[in-house]
Amino acid sequence: MSYFFQLVVSGIVVGSIYALSALGFVLIYKSSRVLNIAHGQIIAAGAFITYALTVWAGISIYISFLLSVVITFFLAMSVERIFLRRLIGEPIISVIMVTIGLMSIIDGLVYLTPFGTENFSFPAFLPKTPITFGGVSISWTQLVGVIITTILIASFSWFFKRSTIGVSMRAVSDDQLASMSVGISVPKVFGLAWATAGLSAAAAGSIIGNITGLNFDTLHAFGITVFPVVILGGLDSIIGAVVAGIIMGLIQQFAAGYLDGHWGLYGTADVLPYIILLVILLFKPHGLFGIHEIERV
Amino acid sequence: MSANRWFATGNFFTTYKEEQRIFLTNIDRLAFALFLAALFIWPLFFKLSNKYMLVIDNILIAIVAIYGLNLVTGYAGLISIGHAAFVGVGAYTLATFSQLLGDSHVVITHAWPLMILVSGCMGAAFGAFVGLPAIRIKHLYLAIATLSFQMIFQWVINYLKFFDQGQTIYIGRVRWLTGFVGRDEHYFFWYYVIMFLVVVMGFGVRNLMRTRYGRCLIAVRDNDRAADAMGMHPGFTKVYAFALAGFFAGVAGALHAYLYRGVGIESFTLHQSITYLAMAIVGGLGTLPGAFFGPIAIRLLDLQVEHLAEFAGTILTGAMNLATALKPLAFGFVIVLFLMFEPRGIANWWRIIRTYLKLWPFRY
Repeated sequence: MSYFFQLVVSGIVVGSIYALSALGFVLIYKSSRVLNIAHGQIIAAGAFITYALTVWAGISIYISFLLSVVITFFLAMSVERIFLRRLIGEPIISVIMVTIGLMSIIDGLVYLTPFGTENFSFPAFLPKTPITFGGVSISWTQLVGVIITTILIASFSWFFKRSTIGVSMRAVSDDQLASMSVGISVPKVFGLAWATAGLSAAAAGSIIGNITGLNFDTLHAFGITVFPVVILGGLDSIIGAVVAGIIMGLIQQFAAGYLDGHWGLYGTADVLPYIILLVILLFKPHGLFGIHEIERV
Repeated sequence: MSANRWFATGNFFTTYKEEQRIFLTNIDRLAFALFLAALFIWPLFFKLSNKYMLVIDNILIAIVAIYGLNLVTGYAGLISIGHAAFVGVGAYTLATFSQLLGDSHVVITHAWPLMILVSGCMGAAFGAFVGLPAIRIKHLYLAIATLSFQMIFQWVINYLKFFDQGQTIYIGRVRWLTGFVGRDEHYFFWYYVIMFLVVVMGFGVRNLMRTRYGRCLIAVRDNDRAADAMGMHPGFTKVYAFALAGFFAGVAGALHAYLYRGVGIESFTLHQSITYLAMAIVGGLGTLPGAFFGPIAIRLLDLQVEHLAEFAGTILTGAMNLATALKPLAFGFVIVLFLMFEPRGIANWWRIIRTYLKLWPFRY
């Protein structure tokens, strides 16, 4: 039974990080209807920036975490400003294809650095002995990761519910024309949505990098799993992203814990999310919390 | 009704049928026939080395694949980030036969035209399956479905023992009328086969766009509600678009397997999918000439990047494999820059040149 709870705990840890990274994706989709295919790459980039600042520049990990989050905030904002601002008004399909191009560009840039080929791991800065509670153990890194993630998700939801900028973001996602007419600058909101997405992606990347170590393929796979998460939760729902993130984390851990090694299967955690994605798209395309757009001709 | 089909000028049509002709004048037709003849005859006079012949064969295979991607992304307006996986389905159909029957079984060596067709049909079946969610949903969710198909495909190939976990699976030499195609004439032989298919399928795509089955794709892309009101089913049309794209991809995959005489996962990865997308975008989405220009441009760029990486490798000692870094970088920039500054692709330049030459020496 403790094996089960162990899987539950690690599932929730991974799932909460999925939730954090899916948040940014949902934000961009909600405000501008753009599927940001490059989101996984931004997550990886955030993790690498944190590592570079911590180890190569020798800054304390707490400060470099904050710095990396801020850097990615401005990086994502400038990506929007340089590549996507001039495509406002173009068909959405070309904007999405631009993000595919961005994905390729970031891949290339990462391959230029040592991160593309080598493995790194963050220096340990927390106690190494895991906390054990009734046969279930959780490492300090995981615990701190979950705490940071929870704080971030909570503050994001406060931001959208209460702050002026958050309300204007929701207004833009609801109706662009109407929000323009009450004086909201839609391009600015798009920029801000990208920046916030970059921020949450960098935070998620740094946390997962601390837990699993830095390997571009792993981070890449982690980043792409964001798509099944957002489809499961519903593309335009922030609560959906959080719930689906945790569900997906649990599913992956259970698959790795119970399916691998039986019936000649292994590596199922890597493929199950995508199978779920296809099934969800077939039977419940708006996900768990997505808005049904009823449209009849 | 121009009495003289040789020197007709201007656009004057009295029937719709006339307007839809592929060749407006007999001069056009003659020029095209000569061009085709030149394409088929030149290898007899200029013997290229195998290396360059392989490059040309590769371009031709990419053209077949881009026909499909162009149908789904260009004409039907759906993004496919899994096109390499569909190409892979075609190639691995062949690999399945090779694993089950042995790599030089009669079916593979003698009945290769049939195998190419079977691979195409497998591609179509998988394409239709991935496109199925289109019946329920609108918008561009399908991009994510194709991406997840790409991931599932890579997982299946990498983890299954049956497919040697992505290691190369060999395919035997094919037999032509005169006997088995040897090492020296291999690329030469496949040049003709693929060229033939490129021409036939090119006419197929061109003709498809003159029938209701092709035009419904464009109608659904431009306005799905209006298309629905006109009696088309937008969902099924999208599924059909994916099936068509899968067919072309499957054929391209089978050709790839035969040309390289082996199938391995490295030719069907996500990066390859993005390369295909780059080809379609650079060539010009939703145009038939784009399907030719895109693969040529991207393959040439590919070669240049490889040269550059080699050159840089000689200067920077101890550097990692630069080509793996520079290729995604170059393709990404090409996609982004073309979408930003020339969304209609090289086909648009071609159109501009043609209209300019048509009126030359007059300005209008």
